Amino acid sequence: MTTNKPKTNYLTDKKFPFCPGCGHGITINALNKALQELNYGPNDVVVVSDIGCSGLIDPLFATHTIHGLHGRSPALGLGVAMGLNQNKGKKVITFIGDGGATIGLQHILEAARRNVDMTLIVLNNLLYGMTGGQISGLSTQKYKEIIDFEQDIPPFDVIQLAYASGARMAVRVNAPNKIKETLKKAIETEGFTIVEAASLCPSYGMKRMNELVEVIEEENILEHERPATQIRDNQTQSLIDKSLVIQKKYDSDLKERKGILIAGSAGGGVQSAAKYLAMAGIFSGLEATMKGEYPITVGTGFSVAEVIFDQKKINYTGLDKPDYFIIVTQDGLDKVRKKLHPEAKIYIEEKLVTPELEQEFPALIKVPFSRLANRKSMALAAVTYVLNKEGILPIDALKEAVSTHRLKDIFVGVIDKVVGSLVEN
Amino acid sequence: METIEKKITLTDGSKLMIEALVQAGADTFVAYPITPSNWMYRYGKERFPQFYAAPDEITTLQWMAGMSAAGRLPVTSSAFPGIALMVESINMAFAMELPMVIIVTQRLGPSTGSATTGAQGDLSLLKGIISGGYPVPVFSPSSFEDMWELSEKAVKTAINFRTPVFLLTSKEMVMYQKAFDLNRLKPINKVERKMPEIQGEYVPYRAGENLVPDFIPLGNDEHQVRITASTHDEYANIRKNDPEALANTRRLQEKFMKRIDELTLYDLDKQEGSQKLLVTWGITADAARDAIGQMRENGDKVDLLVVKSLLPVSDEIYQIIEKYPQVVIAEENLNGQFKEILYGVKPVKNIKQVNKMGNMITPEEIIQAFV
Repeated sequence: MTTNKPKTNYLTDKKFPFCPGCGHGITINALNKALQELNYGPNDVVVVSDIGCSGLIDPLFATHTIHGLHGRSPALGLGVAMGLNQNKGKKVITFIGDGGATIGLQHILEAARRNVDMTLIVLNNLLYGMTGGQISGLSTQKYKEIIDFEQDIPPFDVIQLAYASGARMAVRVNAPNKIKETLKKAIETEGFTIVEAASLCPSYGMKRMNELVEVIEEENILEHERPATQIRDNQTQSLIDKSLVIQKKYDSDLKERKGILIAGSAGGGVQSAAKYLAMAGIFSGLEATMKGEYPITVGTGFSVAEVIFDQKKINYTGLDKPDYFIIVTQDGLDKVRKKLHPEAKIYIEEKLVTPELEQEFPALIKVPFSRLANRKSMALAAVTYVLNKEGILPIDALKEAVSTHRLKDIFVGVIDKVVGSLVEN
Repeated sequence: METIEKKITLTDGSKLMIEALVQAGADTFVAYPITPSNWMYRYGKERFPQFYAAPDEITTLQWMAGMSAAGRLPVTSSAFPGIALMVESINMAFAMELPMVIIVTQRLGPSTGSATTGAQGDLSLLKGIISGGYPVPVFSPSSFEDMWELSEKAVKTAINFRTPVFLLTSKEMVMYQKAFDLNRLKPINKVERKMPEIQGEYVPYRAGENLVPDFIPLGNDEHQVRITASTHDEYANIRKNDPEALANTRRLQEKFMKRIDELTLYDLDKQEGSQKLLVTWGITADAARDAIGQMRENGDKVDLLVVKSLLPVSDEIYQIIEKYPQVVIAEENLNGQFKEILYGVKPVKNIKQVNKMGNMITPEEIIQAFV
């Protein structure tokens, strides 16, 4: 049985722009034939390319094309492949040269480990053809010996690297008559497949195939039995709908803006205590802001938080002169030491107070915070203590705020214990 | 009398931006983690239909470009060290004319600087980010309401102008929490992306009157799509400096300037008879609002211009500023980057600058500048 349907030509009628004898044309013609045999529609194929001689293919394809930056085509192509993954029957074919592969090596490894359907063709002519024949990371040892360039440094084996990173298939093909079949298999295989094809560069490198075969790495086929990654859209819920709406339930007799600075150590619950304090303010009908500060290493060192309350709208959120300091650990004291000022009320863990500090700030209020709660709850205990003394807003508002947390019983217990101890005293 | 019920919550700007972007039609979040974009990343993971943890910022932008070319609307968030890595790829997306939104959370530079200290120091970078001096839209929120509304605006601008769009914000704006009435958020209409009706051949970079070419995604069944970042004619054929190719490149500026009114956003808070104008943007707007509030309480007449579309600069901004004999421009950077964009580095006689680095500008510092 024969069919009269003419074969699709995936190539435009443009003349190949390569130097006479350049090997890139062999791979391009082989790809055209492979696509014909696989029977893709021209609008089912996206050809991705970048800069360098390999990038000259861009105008040659009558498919969808996208032409980007040197060394980045595997990442750009993967973006297209991920974007199109839910449209079945589409194929992304990405080209890169050995120079581009050197720049974008990580993009190749990343595409390999993600294993989204795409075929990457590495046209390896062992050198940079556009800038004067310089070596690339894929220039082979034997070639570098001939041109006396970095002989002691081995090349990247991009096939082994891609395979080790999880590529569904990684193939090096040297014989021109095997390229079509190799590409066909790679394109048919769903997942990330990479084909490194040796290519002549008559201008700077090897001019004849027998010379090229002498200096290139051996052919290789490596395969993982690994299903291709499928991209899906997740159903998500509005962040606004999930927000906790706080209704005013309590009253505050706050007269003017007050800023509270809580200073402790990482892991001491400073940030959550400040957040509950801010929420307690909102439960009491106040405007509130909360801002945290901690070192980049979040698990160690200081943890400082600022809370501002006002009856009026708060625009500027800076707290240049806090009205209250709540200092529970040495890390916290060290961090805020320079901010302390005599007009502020300074509540401080009694063990941290030195004669020098007391001399400078005679009115500071020493409290045994460490006896009121364990390390993790000390900041909340300290906040409770200060609210109880200062009456900025009701303790019940703070209880209401912590009750929004799944560990509310523990937090309410901490608050009750502090309040109870103050009654006893 | 009817009272409108308030829906007060303790929230942050990152959450509002991410939610607004998704509601407006952004569907893919790609990012490499960096302070102070931490909460953007967290909310992005929680809210976007697709989320990708990219291995670095160059990959981030390349993936976004590929996804955008395939018809998705990607967003990322980063700070200077990441944005610096993205620069070449942003140029690529700009030249390809691919819609996307890039959030910049400014922090103290130079270099790594201080990751958890706020700043307004990256506007000059965005001014010159495209090789050749082409403008990219830069919107800068000055309040929680802006974070919501400008995020929607950014998505729509990205689509309507086929371009990357920046949302320029800062550590202090995206990482503090505040009591906020959710009823202040205006409803957002999701952007509709329809396949354009093409008569005959689709020419990928042929633009009509609005100078923006019709966008058709790669991989569509009907038309061959060609996209390129190299200098090209309207068929996406790579050309050197042919007149056709240069005309296409020039269009990359003209498409913005032709419809600059659509890109111009500001708040002008005026008082009858005021001779003084305070100009600001971004985080400093908070201090500016307090400053003019205090000045007015003391009987002083002063107007406030909060600029929300920083680039490209509209003539409207000059027309406002030039009406006032006494002007103060306040921004948290070393030399006044917005002032330099408006008037160059040379001091201007009637313009006083309030600049600072390492800490937010206070309302008092702004008031002092008027004395």
